[in-house]
Amino acid sequence: MPAWVKGAATDIDAAIAAAADLLGAARMPVIAGLNAEVSAIRAAFDLAGRVGASLDTDGAAGTYAELGALSRVGAMTSTPAEAVGRADAVLVLGSAPAKSEILGRIAAGAPTRGRAAGAARAILALDGANEGGVLPALARLRAHFRGHLADESPTAVLASKLAAAQYVVVLYDPAEIGEMGVETVQGLVTDLNDRTRAFSLAVSGGHRNQDRAVVPVSAWTTGQAPRVGLGRKVPEHDPWRFDAARQVAAGEADAALWLSSLPAPRPDWLGQVPSVALVGEASPDAAEVVIAVGVPGRDVGGVLWNETRGALTYWPAQAGGSAPADRPTAAAVLGMLTDRLAARSGTAC
Amino acid sequence: MLSVIRGGRVVDPTASRDAVGDVWIEDGRVIEAPGREPDRVIDAAGCVVMAGGVEVHSHIAGGNVITSRLLLPELYVSEAAPEGHPFAHAGGAAAWIGSTYARMGYTTAVEPAMPPTHALGTQLELADIPLLDRGALTVMGNDDQLLQLLRDGVGKAAVRDLVALNVATSRGLGVKCINAGGASAFKDGALKLSLDDEIPCYGLSTRRIMGSLLDAVEEIGVPHPLHVHCNNLGLPGADDSFMATLDAAEGRRIHFAHAQFYAYGETDDGKGFRSAAERIARAIGDNPQATLDIGQVVFGQTVTVSLDILRQFAGRKGANPKKWVLNAGDAEGGGVVPFLYRPKGPTSSLQWAIGLEIMLLSPDPERTILTTDHPNGGPFTQYPRIIHLLMDRSEREREIATLPGIVGERSGLPGIEREYTLSEIAQLTRSGPAKLLGLADRGHLRPGARADVAVYRDDPNRTAMFTAAKLVLKDGTPIVEDGEVVEWRAGRTLSLTVESDRAMEKRTDSYLTDRFGTGLDSFTVPDEAFDAPTFEAVPCRA
Repeated sequence: MPAWVKGAATDIDAAIAAAADLLGAARMPVIAGLNAEVSAIRAAFDLAGRVGASLDTDGAAGTYAELGALSRVGAMTSTPAEAVGRADAVLVLGSAPAKSEILGRIAAGAPTRGRAAGAARAILALDGANEGGVLPALARLRAHFRGHLADESPTAVLASKLAAAQYVVVLYDPAEIGEMGVETVQGLVTDLNDRTRAFSLAVSGGHRNQDRAVVPVSAWTTGQAPRVGLGRKVPEHDPWRFDAARQVAAGEADAALWLSSLPAPRPDWLGQVPSVALVGEASPDAAEVVIAVGVPGRDVGGVLWNETRGALTYWPAQAGGSAPADRPTAAAVLGMLTDRLAARSGTAC
Repeated sequence: MLSVIRGGRVVDPTASRDAVGDVWIEDGRVIEAPGREPDRVIDAAGCVVMAGGVEVHSHIAGGNVITSRLLLPELYVSEAAPEGHPFAHAGGAAAWIGSTYARMGYTTAVEPAMPPTHALGTQLELADIPLLDRGALTVMGNDDQLLQLLRDGVGKAAVRDLVALNVATSRGLGVKCINAGGASAFKDGALKLSLDDEIPCYGLSTRRIMGSLLDAVEEIGVPHPLHVHCNNLGLPGADDSFMATLDAAEGRRIHFAHAQFYAYGETDDGKGFRSAAERIARAIGDNPQATLDIGQVVFGQTVTVSLDILRQFAGRKGANPKKWVLNAGDAEGGGVVPFLYRPKGPTSSLQWAIGLEIMLLSPDPERTILTTDHPNGGPFTQYPRIIHLLMDRSEREREIATLPGIVGERSGLPGIEREYTLSEIAQLTRSGPAKLLGLADRGHLRPGARADVAVYRDDPNRTAMFTAAKLVLKDGTPIVEDGEVVEWRAGRTLSLTVESDRAMEKRTDSYLTDRFGTGLDSFTVPDEAFDAPTFEAVPCRA
């Protein structure tokens, strides 16, 4: 099975021993990526809890915009299937949702369930091209709802179309509109619910979104959303402090474990600290210690975020594919690493 | 290994046992005294020995619980973890839930609201709760597929097959309905729903949906009766909804969730509520086929989580702090609304009194089970305090004396002299919930019982006594000693063995593919999704 230490091919035991040396010597290790199946994410949290590491996720910009707004103002949300089945008006914010698979499904049909069934479906866009961006356009739209603006502008027309609809879904990519944008969306949706039913639906505009699976695992494991630090043996949620790129750039982190059993580009900062990479697509120079692990849903079975469903679902290994049969799961490798580190701390005590 | 718990006061109401004696254990089971020398003697002198506690209604996993952590991360306090588990003291986390229950002497807990569309996530989370055996109730009653079947009048067999398929696919332990039809009605503009109101687009009513689920549960032979969250939770006059729902059950077995929130009779001026505890308790006395759990309110900050989005939408403006999440999900969805039961506030004081009053008026504690509907009435960590108040009238009077006069004006609590005995506490927290769930192997200490045992120091301060057990055995293995976890073992998830009908599988696969873009496969909870063997089969009733 492919594993490398400092670019030289080796076996799994030697690679895990080297990884344990590297992480065991660190004072402030970070575990990042977490672009992996749920069992591997769980194992990463367990390892972090035992060595006092912090945890960060790949593709985090959208997730943190979403989480920040959620913890401050809350949310009113719907699901992909509800949007497809019920919405007679879909407001598409910005340009990123056009890259999501869900918009195609929404655009291809009309409401079939609920009180809007049989009605036509209006796909409405708010891209802010002439208004200085999505956020100002969104703010203007909300001002119309609240009666703070009154004119004959296209935004006013849009506001009245939404208010006249029976089931509105606002589609947005949090990575594109940011935390303030998400807050404004939630305010808009809340206002709309004084007149009709309206909900938000966050989509990923074609970028990786496995961190949507990290959020629940982090919440049930630590009681907190990611990013989480465990250096003080108490889970501490702090998206700024535990940003792995920032920690490395600031010289706070002195070792890193990059977990990406699903394919993802390696971050630039990884080479700046001693690092271990557990990756589905491995190259010998990805990190100081590299271990190739099974890709979930291809080489090995695993639970992944399913954007079509908006839920965690199980993906079996593909039968008869060209998958390398000798790859361990990322969870198994992390488990071995944790055991080895625990045994050491046992002897050290 | 043969063990004996020696010399404790053994309290097992199912065997009319309340006397000093021994409990013998071998191979994880309680056995008759074998006439052999034990390998291990556990000295329980001065202690009370009970079966492990069984929880029937506590929101400990699932999408809403996760959202509550994201919305209100400051609700629980985290402390540095002890040796043995890195997250045991992470407030609100799965390990904290497992260890806190275990320290209180509980060994089984059921999450009452698992939406079939999110069964895998809920089951993965439950499986990460250590120490306890767990289970989840599959929620139905607002899903379009079911409502379509009922609208189309396809007959009882199809409804039964769909319910069986949902329980089998989600690996539930029972079936629950939550304001049946309410979430669907909310999405179609309704803001209120009573038993016979029409559910828009389907021409159905809560009565009809619930009735079909009551039938399905009986026909499948689910040991746990249909677990019902009625209409109009928390509103003045909700006692009428409770009684109407009981009538609508027409003698079929039914369990009422968090009944305290329905024991609100309307005041004469129509502006407020007064205790209807007596009415509710009498109804339970008159209907041996009915059970309830309390949903006791405790003072302080909490966050309410419910799949009753109609109710949570109505309650959003009372959010404290002022933020809330409402998810119009694939069937129910859910609402997460932070709430403060104001210490000494008139409304919360009356709610507090009503829950205690139902229990103290109960004609049969086995059928009026202690819950706080965690975290909706307050955290389950308050059970020891609630037990204290039930067992000690003077303690109750001391607390009532600090509360506003409304407690005496609108509830009968101050006049109640009853003090619960330890046997009654065991009925309330052990034998009652175990019988309700149909789990014959727990909730008692008769030979054959699973050796889930809690040993408490007999302390007149019942709060202290029930907060930190002296010893807790799970399947005969000590997991807690002197209030601290000593072995981090995994429990099992109890899941009903249900045969699903092939034709319904095929029909459902086609329905789901059309609606969700993916078929039945993506809704399953396969063993392979778990790192270790997780599920234990529970048979249906013969």
